[in-house]
Amino acid sequence: MSISWWCTAISEPWSWAFRAYPGVWLTVAALAGTYLWSVRRNRAVESHSRRQTIFFMAGVAVFWLASDWPLGTLGAGYLASAHMVQYILYVLVAAPLLWLGTPEWMARRVLAATGIYRTGRSLRRFPLVMGVTFNATLVLSHTPIAVDALRASQFGSFAMDAIWLLSGLALWAPIVGSVSEFRERSYPARMVYLFFASGIVTIIPASFLTFAKLPLYQTYELAPRVFGLTAIDDQQIAGLIMKLATVPIVWPVLAAMMYRWATSEQASA
Amino acid sequence: MTFVGHLFVRFLLIAGLAFALGACAGAGVPLAGQLAGVAIESPTQKPSFTLTDTDGHAFDFSEETAGRLTFLYFGYTNCPDICPVHLAQLKEVFDRLPDVRRNSTVVFVTVDPERDSPEVIRSFLDAFRVDFVGLTGSLQELETAQIAAGVPKALREGSGDDYTMGHAGQVLVYAPDGLGYSVYPFGTRQSDWMHDLPILLQRTGS
Repeated sequence: MSISWWCTAISEPWSWAFRAYPGVWLTVAALAGTYLWSVRRNRAVESHSRRQTIFFMAGVAVFWLASDWPLGTLGAGYLASAHMVQYILYVLVAAPLLWLGTPEWMARRVLAATGIYRTGRSLRRFPLVMGVTFNATLVLSHTPIAVDALRASQFGSFAMDAIWLLSGLALWAPIVGSVSEFRERSYPARMVYLFFASGIVTIIPASFLTFAKLPLYQTYELAPRVFGLTAIDDQQIAGLIMKLATVPIVWPVLAAMMYRWATSEQASA
Repeated sequence: MTFVGHLFVRFLLIAGLAFALGACAGAGVPLAGQLAGVAIESPTQKPSFTLTDTDGHAFDFSEETAGRLTFLYFGYTNCPDICPVHLAQLKEVFDRLPDVRRNSTVVFVTVDPERDSPEVIRSFLDAFRVDFVGLTGSLQELETAQIAAGVPKALREGSGDDYTMGHAGQVLVYAPDGLGYSVYPFGTRQSDWMHDLPILLQRTGS
């Protein structure tokens, strides 16, 4: 069995032989363990629901699924399409679940301890800054130079995964973030924010991937081919995933917000 | 012959000479700076050797590939990384350059005849393109071919059935004029191939 700290690009042909990534396991254990320890330690004085635990653990599980073998291995060194599935899972699934599972008191303590709370409060247009941060990360982290440089090493690959998750947390903070003063107050504002922040800029890198005539990423072009996919087919699939993944994830959220808005308007009428 | 007739004959002679020189221009002239591949300072002659193809027929390399853009690669079918990636890259580039594909011959020479039977080579190559040529021979013949091509002899690494072969990792490319202007090591991108192959295809030497 092959063991390495974090998934990275390797030159061996793809096989379904299990590969162990203790760094992923430790990160997952640290996230889940710290959460449970903190909840248990503060349960006498702070509110916390079972539902939040389920959301948080689901978020951790999605993070694990995206980072570990086999998806992590495929995404780090074989398929741009797997790399994109990882990205979508981190940003559009794990990040909102982690927010939904984090009690407000816990989020406040973490954000205060890291200085993020003070920075966030100092921002006049918090959602705008979060949207720009998310989209800048999206574009920069998908440039060939970034992907090829970061995927070449375990640390770089870890950094890329971490940056993606953090950018996802930034994207969702104004929607489902645990700190009330960072959330957009009205449903229309939330819907507009989510629509523009998650769905517009994405089209640019997605289009480059879908319509490029040649493979953009050296990492995947020079990797042993997997599942009979050519490098360009794989890249086009990656572009389509990036472009279309928001549809089944973001649009239902928008629909749910629309429904809640309508319901709240009815109730107040 | 009248004065005008003399002039006309002269014109034809000069035009013919200019055409001949123009057609030959470039043959044998290095392409350093024009190619994305690793340029060879003094273009090399296509090697001569005869091996056996996957149908069991003798394959005279220089004769069978004369006038064609020729890709020569020494590898083996159990190769974990470089060989399949090179062949996949060529296949994918050919899919986009039909004119190059029609005028090219890819020759894969095994350096591991012990495990690479003609059937194994054929099956391996068919996963890329059915018109890729696979060659094998005795160890001595294969060594001679490698020496003729100017690449280091492949060496067996490791023991048991799971051994690997240390072998030249570059694809040798010969233009239709029979000369090699550049080589393509592992790491050559499809953009490099797409840039170089049409240029090399023009080197007809006629």
